[in-house]
Amino acid sequence: MRIALFSDIHANLPAFKAMLDDMDDQKPDAAYCLGDLVGYHIYPNEVIQEIRRRGIGTLKGNHDQKVQKLITTPNSLQEPGKNYAYHLISQDNRDYLKTLPAHIKLEYKLQSEMLNLVFAHGSTRSIDEYVLIDTDEKYVLDMMQEAGAHMLFVGHSHKPYHRILEENNKFKHVVNLGSVGKPKDGDPRGCYVIITIAPDSSILNKNSIQVKFRRFEYDVEASAKAIENSLLPSEFADALRLAK
Amino acid sequence: MRIALFSDIHANLPALEAFFKDVETRNTDAIYCLGDLVGYNIWPNEVIDEIRKRGIPTIAGNYDWGIGRSSDDCGCAYKTDEEKALGKVSISYTNEVVKDEQRAYLRTLPAHIRLEYQLNHDKRNILFVHGSPRKVNEYLFEERDEKSMLRIMEQADADIMCFGHTHKPYHRILNSGNEGGDHFRHAINIGSVGKPKDSDPRGGYVILTINPDSTVTDKESIKVEFIRFEYDIEKAAKAVEDSPLPNEYADMLRKG
Repeated sequence: MRIALFSDIHANLPAFKAMLDDMDDQKPDAAYCLGDLVGYHIYPNEVIQEIRRRGIGTLKGNHDQKVQKLITTPNSLQEPGKNYAYHLISQDNRDYLKTLPAHIKLEYKLQSEMLNLVFAHGSTRSIDEYVLIDTDEKYVLDMMQEAGAHMLFVGHSHKPYHRILEENNKFKHVVNLGSVGKPKDGDPRGCYVIITIAPDSSILNKNSIQVKFRRFEYDVEASAKAIENSLLPSEFADALRLAK
Repeated sequence: MRIALFSDIHANLPALEAFFKDVETRNTDAIYCLGDLVGYNIWPNEVIDEIRKRGIPTIAGNYDWGIGRSSDDCGCAYKTDEEKALGKVSISYTNEVVKDEQRAYLRTLPAHIRLEYQLNHDKRNILFVHGSPRKVNEYLFEERDEKSMLRIMEQADADIMCFGHTHKPYHRILNSGNEGGDHFRHAINIGSVGKPKDSDPRGGYVILTINPDSTVTDKESIKVEFIRFEYDIEKAAKAVEDSPLPNEYADMLRKG
């Protein structure tokens, strides 16, 4: 079974549409979104609507959470600044974001051993903690133990990687999905992941789970221009062009 | 957030198609399938394909477990010798018609899916299982002793537990709180899309609504709607009769 995992769309509709086209071509058996649908761009409602329309299982990211405390007045939509990205969000979509779960866990019993895949936005300890490629190995293993995770999938840092940690002849995987709509690894293309679970997938077999990073082109310039033509800071447009 | 939950399609394509038509009109935000895609009718491959095509997160039912492993045991608790004999025909027929790719899909389905919520300072887990958290083929009937039901949910760390397998829908609210305060847990059987057994032959599924102000101390903070929908029962029953499957399964569809 092939599962598509993506996150950190950040209201970038042109990138999101390109990702969906690529994903639909890939025909995965299931798809999950690991949060941060909004912020930094002008299309939060369009992104949320498409995710809701498709019924994709979705987590709450720290930007999605931020919206809960936001007070929007008629004036808010006239004020330049980064909060414009959140003020745009409709009440109905705010309610949706508020009722998103923090984590999703898939519990497999393929072999005699359990195999748990855990999805979180930042980490299983905190919605806005970064789990990076060089985060202390012991720290990550402890956190995974505490969360009952054999494979941990996160977003939030916008820097994709797949790390395999060995502990007592068992292999734990940590995967950062990168970002659909705001990459920060110097490659301006969008990024998401497709994993393959096989009948022999097991924590005892290092290579029994396949993780593929997919990069896709989209119209970065048009997307950046849309930011520049809005009340959002222009730095957000440059960040898309430079993927930083 | 409105979550559609369906299960126990049992290779009944006309029922599944009618379900999709119905659910598309109901503004749901997410959709999960709680297993038993195959068995008892002639369209196991088509049902699998429709669910895969839509990318619906799905867990393994006991029948999927058996077919995924090319086993002749579906884990079904048939009571009489007659039921056992009929069941044997169904599983060997299903094993015969299911193709390799579809079998591989069934083989790699997860056993449970858990949504961990952190909402309004509560931690709250929604757990999807096919039968029970302990066993894919354990039946959790409505009349189960309250203590036993609570123990199962507490052991599985489930505040809201949704399951199928019995084909008899219900929603039970249990309180595992103490003097310190209420802690409401919900046990929800979502019924069956393609083989209802509650004397209503229409297909059934559930829409679960999580309110933004939802807490464990508020009994009413989630809403459970049982939806029933009409489908072409005669087409599904005829398909059974025109196949090597026992005609008894056609009558069961007609009677619910």
